[in-house]
Amino acid sequence: MPGHEEVIGTVAGPGEDPNEFIFVTPADQPIKTGEFITYDVTVDGESRSVFARVTNRELIRGLPEGFLADPEVGPETVAATLGVPTDDTELYRMTATVIGFYNTNMETFANPRQLPDPGTPLSIAPDGQLETVLPNLGCDTVETEVTQLDGVAHIGWLLNRPERATNIHIPIEEFASTHLAILAATGSGKSYTASVLIEEMMRPTSRASLLVFDPHGEYDTLAEMQGHESFREEDGYEPDVVYYDPERLQVRISELEIGDVMAILDNPSNRMQDRLSTAWRSMQNQESETWGIDDLMTEMRSEFGGNDASVGALEWRLRRSIQRNDLFDPEENVPLDEIIDPGQCTVLQMDTLDRRDQQLITTVLLRRLYRERLNDVRGRESEVEHPVFALFEEGHRFAPTSGDAPSLGIMRTITSEGRKFGFGLGIISQRPSKIDQDVLSQCGTQISMKIRNPNDQDAIKKSVEAAGEDVLRELPGLTPGQAIVSGDAMNTPALIQVRPRRTEHGAGSLDVIDKWREAYDARQREPTRSESADFGEGDSTGVQSLD
Amino acid sequence: MTDQTTEMETANVDSCVQIGSIVSSNSHLDYVVEVYKDRDCERPPKLSEREFGQPVFIKKTIDGTEHAVMGVIYDTQLVDPDQGRTGPRLAQDDQAQFTPGYIEERTTLAGVALLGTATVNEDRTITDPTHRMPRWTLEVDDTVYHCPDEITASFHTIDGQIQLAYIDRLVDIAGDLGAEVIVALIDRLRSVLPNEDPNQRVLDVVEQNVEWQAHERRGVV
Ligand SMILES: Nc1ncnc2c1ncn2[C@@H]1O[C@H](COP(=O)(O)OP(=O)(O)O)[C@@H](O)[C@H]1O
Ligand SMILES: [Mg+2]
Repeated sequence: MPGHEEVIGTVAGPGEDPNEFIFVTPADQPIKTGEFITYDVTVDGESRSVFARVTNRELIRGLPEGFLADPEVGPETVAATLGVPTDDTELYRMTATVIGFYNTNMETFANPRQLPDPGTPLSIAPDGQLETVLPNLGCDTVETEVTQLDGVAHIGWLLNRPERATNIHIPIEEFASTHLAILAATGSGKSYTASVLIEEMMRPTSRASLLVFDPHGEYDTLAEMQGHESFREEDGYEPDVVYYDPERLQVRISELEIGDVMAILDNPSNRMQDRLSTAWRSMQNQESETWGIDDLMTEMRSEFGGNDASVGALEWRLRRSIQRNDLFDPEENVPLDEIIDPGQCTVLQMDTLDRRDQQLITTVLLRRLYRERLNDVRGRESEVEHPVFALFEEGHRFAPTSGDAPSLGIMRTITSEGRKFGFGLGIISQRPSKIDQDVLSQCGTQISMKIRNPNDQDAIKKSVEAAGEDVLRELPGLTPGQAIVSGDAMNTPALIQVRPRRTEHGAGSLDVIDKWREAYDARQREPTRSESADFGEGDSTGVQSLD
Repeated sequence: MTDQTTEMETANVDSCVQIGSIVSSNSHLDYVVEVYKDRDCERPPKLSEREFGQPVFIKKTIDGTEHAVMGVIYDTQLVDPDQGRTGPRLAQDDQAQFTPGYIEERTTLAGVALLGTATVNEDRTITDPTHRMPRWTLEVDDTVYHCPDEITASFHTIDGQIQLAYIDRLVDIAGDLGAEVIVALIDRLRSVLPNEDPNQRVLDVVEQNVEWQAHERRGVV
């Protein structure tokens, strides 16, 4: 058999589920759960390699547990004393679920609708084949050189195989158009994985137009892509990384919708809401798009009279929440052409804005971008004439279950409609259970990493239809950098190790001890300045470079 | 002189006490031995030398090489011809191993299960112990010797490690008393080994396992 490796086990019979079978392997075949295996069947007169995933492993023959009675005495010693052979005595009973054979016409897995016969020999699925058929790359052979394909993101390799043995390249178009969710507890590698994907999308073969909503300043190191060899191309291409600081993040007042304004104001009464809606609507109907609170007040007074108590109360609230907030301006707006460009990754640094302002700037930007994408696809004049992918850290802030974020509406619209208009979202969150279900379920590709909280695990299970229980069972036990990739970008879910970044990772937690020592040393130096600081172990360059 | 010191000096297969002679067999590994009385030999065995769990051996020369076929007393039976054909039985009813031939006088029979073999050296000690099933058949009238603890220990030591690799065969032959024979053998080995010998702990684990399995078989646990 071409490309087939040695036989590792033998089919014993069918399992509990219709797609399950049982096989037996000796101990010298270290088959882990999650491993991919193959066997041959004849489908319509043609021999096909069927792929299956190992889902369970049980010892069926091994030394009795009584041999473990004394921790100081190895079970093999007891066995040797009793003349029981210990070499390869163990037998394992494994359960596997059929994934299917790779149908080169349909370019995905097809279920052979028949389980392997008892006695069928099983092999480890060859690396090259898995690289081709696990991700949704649409290859027309079972073994393609996937590194040569355009528009793929090398995200990592299969966790069960040796490092870099089975590399997983996922199709960028797939997750960038049908949305992406990266879900995991804090510190599990969400930002790291997102950065790996950004690196891949900014490579010369893809030259994406990316927007990163960064509430924590975790993406500062992406700038290293500029001037980095692996991102440069002979035609002069080099990614542009643009940082947009909070001072430049401004919202033109006329871009706010009445719902947004209501969300900012303190408890407006019904009558106030009424008055404001009327006045806001007539301002929006005006020719000018550069009006401010003063213009709005003039409009309100002319409609409801100068002495109206509600208008007075509104004025106080509007001036406090809008006029005195630097985020809002009658004229200034984030120019879309500055933040959106192919080959450009723009990081919107929102770390000094409060949550409400983060939501508002996001709401308005998304709304404007969506409008432009709609115009472009409908053949109207547009400021954004190419697809856009926007990535959100703290995704549950912008599309919360509780429904009190002004951004929720536009997030729902984009996740359900955006694929038609070339507008993809990437939602990163450590609290999947706090993300709006509509938004989460529309994220076609999921990268799930370590998560322990049962509510969050449930939320992932609900949104990740494709990944079976057996894969999701792994979630709590993963370590940082290990992930389950599932959904549209994959033909079947896979457990992977995310590759190291090409750029430095900027989001590590604060090194408390270093900071204390640094502060202490600085204090020691202060009064006399005669002693030079002693950094001890020598590995203190990081500390010194901060001075 | 105590018995103990005599025993330590007689790790010599030629100076061992004779226990009796073979009168019949129940199977290839299961022999019936008639225990010597005063007039059968010069020095009949003391009661403690033919007790339950006592290792024994039979000398056999095969193709010019002298071997010791090792065994253990796993049962005994008293026979009194005046009391009917066979005397009262010590063992339980379902044990049909003892079917001795015609016996004229009161006598003690011992059941001996074979454990393995070893080669007898020039210096009359043993080497190359193996716990594989002995291939040779013993003969009626073959003499069965008391096996001193030192030879017992060397029969059980293979590559520096204590072994009782015959254990499952012994349990088959000894039936209900299998666990007790093994425990008796283990006790004997433990008393020969120095206290700090790592094999002591291994023997503990083996003993625990054997006893536990016996308890399980008997429905205690
Ligand atoms: N693929 C990976 N390879 C190596 N280290 C990783 C990987 N993913 C995460 N890490 C480590 O885990 C730490 C936390 O990752 P990070 O992405 O900042 O977590 P999160 O965003 O989920 O809170 C990183 O600082 C890094 O040291
Ligand atoms: Mg993070």
